[in-house]
Amino acid sequence: MNRHGWNAKRIALAALALWLLTSVYIVPADQQAVETRFGRVVSPRVPPGIHLSMPWPIDRVHKLKVQQLQRLAVGGEISDGVLGRTEPLRAQFLTGDQNIIFLRAVVQYSVGVPAEYLFQSQDVAAVVGAAVESEMAHHIAQRSVDAVLTTEKAAIQEEVRAAAQKVLNDQRVGVLLASVNIEAAAPPPEAADAFRDVAGARADSARIVSEAQGYANDVIPKARGEAERLLEEARAYKLRKINEAYGDAARFLQVAAEYERAAQVNGRRLYVETMEQILPKIKKLLVDRNGNLDLTIVRK
Amino acid sequence: MDWQRYRRHYPAAAAAAIVILLWLSLFPVRETEFVLVTQFGRPLYTVTEAGLHAKWFFQSATYFDRRLRIYNPRPSEFLTRDKKNLVIESYVAWRIQDPKRFVETVGDAVAAEMRLHDIVWSGLAAALGAHELESLVSVQPDAARAQRMLDDLTAATDRTALASYGIHVADVRIKRLNLPEQNKQSVYARMRAERERIARQYRAEGEEQALRIRAEADRQREEILSAAYKEAEKIKGEGDAESTRLYSQAYARNPRFYKLLRTLESYKKIFDDKTTAILSSDSELLKILMRGEAGVP
Repeated sequence: MNRHGWNAKRIALAALALWLLTSVYIVPADQQAVETRFGRVVSPRVPPGIHLSMPWPIDRVHKLKVQQLQRLAVGGEISDGVLGRTEPLRAQFLTGDQNIIFLRAVVQYSVGVPAEYLFQSQDVAAVVGAAVESEMAHHIAQRSVDAVLTTEKAAIQEEVRAAAQKVLNDQRVGVLLASVNIEAAAPPPEAADAFRDVAGARADSARIVSEAQGYANDVIPKARGEAERLLEEARAYKLRKINEAYGDAARFLQVAAEYERAAQVNGRRLYVETMEQILPKIKKLLVDRNGNLDLTIVRK
Repeated sequence: MDWQRYRRHYPAAAAAAIVILLWLSLFPVRETEFVLVTQFGRPLYTVTEAGLHAKWFFQSATYFDRRLRIYNPRPSEFLTRDKKNLVIESYVAWRIQDPKRFVETVGDAVAAEMRLHDIVWSGLAAALGAHELESLVSVQPDAARAQRMLDDLTAATDRTALASYGIHVADVRIKRLNLPEQNKQSVYARMRAERERIARQYRAEGEEQALRIRAEADRQREEILSAAYKEAEKIKGEGDAESTRLYSQAYARNPRFYKLLRTLESYKKIFDDKTTAILSSDSELLKILMRGEAGVP
């Protein structure tokens, strides 16, 4: 009896110790915890480390991986819409200029406020998805199809993220949206070729503009070279003219000085020399003042 | 019965009775729940505060999930004020606010969603009927107007749902806007026409820009060349003027000799093998030929 009682005491003590051990808990480095007492939140944000609480079942500890990003797709698979497979409407959005486009976005979110994340909504992913989807529809309905497909994709992503975050904050979902990323956006297959042609036209336009620029880049430097050539030629001409004039003038003055010494003789000599040069080339008729004109040479 | 025989078990029995009583009277309320305390089926009061609470052991506690839920009504077609059809997919974020009213009127979530569907549907129909398509779908949007429409719809839905069913509606939002299936072919045709117009415009604009660049280049070339011509002629003129000055300066020293020289020079150019000269034997040159020594002037 005594021995039996001692054993029972030991078992009871061991059980008590085990029970008390449930009041010690460890929060790993990448997690945070929420401590509740009879369901009521007493510590909304317990940092990583070793902690004490009241033993089970008074206190419960809910641990959360707060830094882990969770992914959620919004819209549908583009190929579903293209191939007319399951739920083509999922991916379909209406733009501000009443064009239909297919779009798929991926949301990444993490836990922002652990207590809200745990206790405020039944299905956090559904709430996040609905908020992002409605903001996406709203913002795409305010943009032209070109803006959505090309230039303003980044702006839309950020606007949707910010707006959806505000909605989720108001609903106290306790979620932090890291990013909303439009992974794919495409026109409907019925108009895809026309969209491609616009891209082609844009390329054509860029090509002929760059060709024209090539022409300009060719013509203008050539013209500058040509201008430089004209100027150099003119400078050469000027120099030549002046040098020639100097030379001619110097020669003339020297010859003139010689000529002056015996003007009569030199004049005659020059005349005769010139005639010697000219007369061999030309046809000549000699006419004596007293004789008749002999025209036989002319006839021949 | 010999009560004395069981006397030593009395304390244990009393302890067990107390534990059972406590078990029946104390109840925890979690953050995710509301508790409705009922007495023989009759709702008494609601516990909204989480934690440990007490009731009489003969009363019972009913738990309600107070968390936010998302309800997605089926997409429906609505008519805007300017008689355009829109297929709208909405969602409702709601939670139980007043369990007593909730349990008295609807009872469970499925029934609640049916009621919400009716409220939201008529609310959306009224709201869209009062707005043009442009206020929802437009490249120059009146964002505040669309937001106000949804806020008003949420507020109205919330008022009705809370008063009637004890439901709080946090948000009614439009998840998707679409055109009805039968309109789509014409939309695609319009999209194609629009794209073709834009493609033509791109090409024409490229052409325009290219022509402008070419014309500008040609103009610049003319400008450069003509400016160079102007400058070159000026330089040549300077050369000509300078050489003329030099010549006249030199020739002015001896005009008679210049006249002789220049005249003789020009003869060389004037006369060639096509020229026939009729020479008088009296000429300076031929006098000697004709008369010998006597011809020497």
